[in-house]
Amino acid sequence: MIGLYHYLTISAILFALAVAGIFINRRNLIVLLMCIELVLLAVNFNFVAFSRYLGDETGQAFVFFILTVAAAEAAIGLAILVVLFRNRRSINVQELDSMKG
Amino acid sequence: MLENYLPILIFLGIAALVGLVLMGLGFLFGRGEKDAEKLSAYECGFEPFEDTRMKFDVRYYLVAILFIIFDLEIAFLFPWAVSLDLVGGFGLVAMGIFLAVLVVGFIYEWKKGALEWD
Amino acid sequence: MFQAILFYTFAAVLIGAAMGVIFSRNPVHAVMFLVLAFFQSSLLWLLAEAEFLAIVLILVYVGAVMVLFLFVVMMIDINVERVQGGLVRYAPLGLVIAGLMVVELVQLIWARSRFEVATGGFAATPEGYSNTEALGAILYTEHVYAFEIAAVILLLAIVAAISLTMRKREGLKVQNITSQVAARAKDRVRVVKMEAEKRQ
Repeated sequence: MIGLYHYLTISAILFALAVAGIFINRRNLIVLLMCIELVLLAVNFNFVAFSRYLGDETGQAFVFFILTVAAAEAAIGLAILVVLFRNRRSINVQELDSMKG
Repeated sequence: MLENYLPILIFLGIAALVGLVLMGLGFLFGRGEKDAEKLSAYECGFEPFEDTRMKFDVRYYLVAILFIIFDLEIAFLFPWAVSLDLVGGFGLVAMGIFLAVLVVGFIYEWKKGALEWD
Repeated sequence: MFQAILFYTFAAVLIGAAMGVIFSRNPVHAVMFLVLAFFQSSLLWLLAEAEFLAIVLILVYVGAVMVLFLFVVMMIDINVERVQGGLVRYAPLGLVIAGLMVVELVQLIWARSRFEVATGGFAATPEGYSNTEALGAILYTEHVYAFEIAAVILLLAIVAAISLTMRKREGLKVQNITSQVAARAKDRVRVVKMEAEKRQ
């Protein structure tokens, strides 16, 4: 019987993979943003699973809000990235250290 | 619950079948002599100047962003349309405010000229 | 049983796609793997009878957000960023942390599922239940405040995106269609009456 715990396990694996991705891809800012999307997806999995387990739609309403905020975040984040690339000709995270002092 | 998706399964099966049959026919009857020259990009006879993956203009990005915003707005309209009987006048007013805020954004981008191509 | 087979298939593809996202060197491939991951998640949500969110995930994420990511990947010179030298250096650390997290989280979930009385099965939906309708019934009443804030966040995204990326090109020669259409012959052409000259 597929239920809450299966979904929670999937979510945990997805979350850990996304965090590993943030560690591994430290050179490309776009891949970092994609890993953040994966983290949010894992969170959404938890919300959906618990919403269905408890029979309460509030969790799903919040997934909808998270999707909205994540889309806005992706739009603004990518806009910043485009401006960054235009000014520095690089999106390598390790080169973005002008505030290091 | 899964029984309700049977028509979609049938649809997917037929779609996959048609696609595979067409591809298989092409594979069977086509003269498949593919070499590096045949598969390379063709540009009116001369050597291609640059990679096929040329850089996009930033203006496409603006269009895509504005599409996302209004796509989400439409996504918010769907459950409202379905549950209008349940949410009643309150929901109508709430959606009115929601749309009004986004119309402000629409006017902003129109006046800024973000919808102009040049 | 059939449901379990579907679940494990989708879950396996989802994990594989997530691995593809973090390990692929070409950002375009990473975007494509992320599309696959979103698609599989949508199928899993469909399996959990959260139909509306499944459709929204396809509509908004695969249809719009990933296209945006693809645009940005294509906008940024791909050949410059193809080399990812840092991959090997930080890979062990990242994998160790990921492994630890998976072990801990799964252990916790497993312990809960062992000692909890409830089986963790999903609540059965009543006859004639509509996921979209039930969602809408609370979205616009109970969570109306969050709903209006969502509108403001979208407005913020519009303003931020336009002010960050839009730039006017200087010295661009543009066609002013309004003034072209509004032009009248009498503004442009002056008809002059003059005497015909005598033939020489």
